[in-house]
Amino acid sequence: MSRRVPLAVLALLGAIPQAAAQPLPRIASTNVCTDQLLMTLADPAQIIGLSPYSRDPAQSFAAAEARRYRLLSGGAEDILMLKPDAVVSGQYDKRATRELLRQQGVRVVEFDVVPPSLDAIKQQIVAMAALVGHPERAAPAVARLDASIARARAMAAHNPIRVLPLWRRGWVSGAGSLISLLFAETGLVNAAADLGIASGGFASLEAIIAARPDILLVSDGGDFAEDEGTALLLHPALERFYPPSKRIVLPERLTVCGGAMLADALDLLVAELTRMSR
Amino acid sequence: MTEGAQQLATIETAAARPRGVITLALLLIVGLLMLGSLGVGPVRLSPLTVLGALFGGGGEVEQVIVQQIRLPRAILGLAIGAILGLSGAALQGLLRNPLASPSLFGAPQAAAFGAVLMIALGLADVRSYALPVAAILASFVSVFALLAVAGGNAGMLLLILAGLAISSLAGAATVLVMNLASNPYVALEIAFWMLGSLEDRSFHHVMLALPFIAIGALILFSQRHAFRALSLGEETAQSLGVDVGRLRLLVIIGVALGVGAGVAVTGTIGFIGLVAPHLMRPLVGHDPAKLLLPSALCGAALLLAADIAVRIIPSSSDIKVGVLTSLIGVPFFLYLIVRERRSLGGGMA
Repeated sequence: MSRRVPLAVLALLGAIPQAAAQPLPRIASTNVCTDQLLMTLADPAQIIGLSPYSRDPAQSFAAAEARRYRLLSGGAEDILMLKPDAVVSGQYDKRATRELLRQQGVRVVEFDVVPPSLDAIKQQIVAMAALVGHPERAAPAVARLDASIARARAMAAHNPIRVLPLWRRGWVSGAGSLISLLFAETGLVNAAADLGIASGGFASLEAIIAARPDILLVSDGGDFAEDEGTALLLHPALERFYPPSKRIVLPERLTVCGGAMLADALDLLVAELTRMSR
Repeated sequence: MTEGAQQLATIETAAARPRGVITLALLLIVGLLMLGSLGVGPVRLSPLTVLGALFGGGGEVEQVIVQQIRLPRAILGLAIGAILGLSGAALQGLLRNPLASPSLFGAPQAAAFGAVLMIALGLADVRSYALPVAAILASFVSVFALLAVAGGNAGMLLLILAGLAISSLAGAATVLVMNLASNPYVALEIAFWMLGSLEDRSFHHVMLALPFIAIGALILFSQRHAFRALSLGEETAQSLGVDVGRLRLLVIIGVALGVGAGVAVTGTIGFIGLVAPHLMRPLVGHDPAKLLLPSALCGAALLLAADIAVRIIPSSSDIKVGVLTSLIGVPFFLYLIVRERRSLGGGMA
């Protein structure tokens, strides 16, 4: 079902190329993932507001750039006042806000922020480029992603390494996550299945140590435990089996969203694997 | 004065039940629960494997699981349960009030606020000594404020109401601080601080908490004779040379040290301090001095048992141990209120 969303977007946008003479649409975003797609593909003048998390460097790859734009509240009020030509949002954003906007005659375009495949991500880039009236800008972004995928595939298939993607408080991303998509391209095996975790879940320290994945994938390589959730990753038992040399650090801002930044995520993954195989 | 001393002697002999046997039995139970705590976990290990791994045998994985994951958990369960039971018995002795306990006075909630404030300010790592120190200071302030507001000879009703106010305030302040700190994972962190958990602690946490808990326990235990004298009434105690003002301060310090340090590494675990002394009174009598050690052992047994139970009860995600202690503690508290209804009513008049 989620595959159909970008196609629906394309269908909706059928009219845009013919209307090229008209002024470019002014767009607001209510999701940290659509924020980043928008900043990659639209002219700055077209962006009239970004989501509340757009400036969070932990979540957004383009947090610094986002400071140039207006910060929206996440609710409907300020969007209505700004009268955008379209609002881009994720399909899991607050439904009430989207429905209210639609009732008020605002055009809301939903994007699948957890895409099922890398192809779906490319389709989203194409869809967003069409929406902002710059369809030609999709090709370079897609090409960048394709190049990274090619590099990843080139180094994959040597040996199936079992990697456990372990986030704060022991959350493990399983099958269907963006991480698993990246693993598939790099020939890595997600060790979540060894812990009995299907699509994602919490793992106990004991279970992780007993399953002994080859490598841990974490989002932070620091030694500062800002809260109890991060402290778990610095537990002595875990550090004993997984010192920094056995941890791949992939910042969360590269893997939260399906977008052009996944190219950087893949490149980083490849670089880390090359470092480890030495 | 001689009359007071005589009364004191009577209390001492009247309570001379087979206390040694009870203490031994409690020690045995705590020891068995410690072993149980080492034996239970998400990874199934046979009792023999666990014992072998504890003393350095078996595979590396088993050793790490038993020595670095389960052992600190069991030690923290023992130490924190004991200090909570001891704190409850000390507060009940100080106030001569069977409903006195750290959690009803808002001490753990205040301690959690202190710890969370340190994290939110971004000044300290959650594994630094800043956390227990802040938690200890906050719980000291809360118990001190409670006794100051309610007064030295406050009735039960007044203490409970003041305690309720302080714990609600501290709980709300904790959540507010976490919301302001804009941690995107705030809901999970709040659950930890509000409901308490011993899961996946390390020896680092033991080192953070244990010194403070030990000092707090020594302070409380050293005042046992004062509690006994106090049970005859404040004036008699003073005539026996007990400085009640100083005793009150020492108890507050002892409770704050123990509860604050415990909360800083495990979050809020409630009601053990209330329940443990009540379970022990029928066994060892009403002498508050002789109640301290059994209450500490009973508190340790209760927390160890609850922490074993949360690992055995099948669930999709981990049950917080504070949930279990509250599930047991709150009905017990209500039962105590029913039992003490008359004196509570008297407190109102």
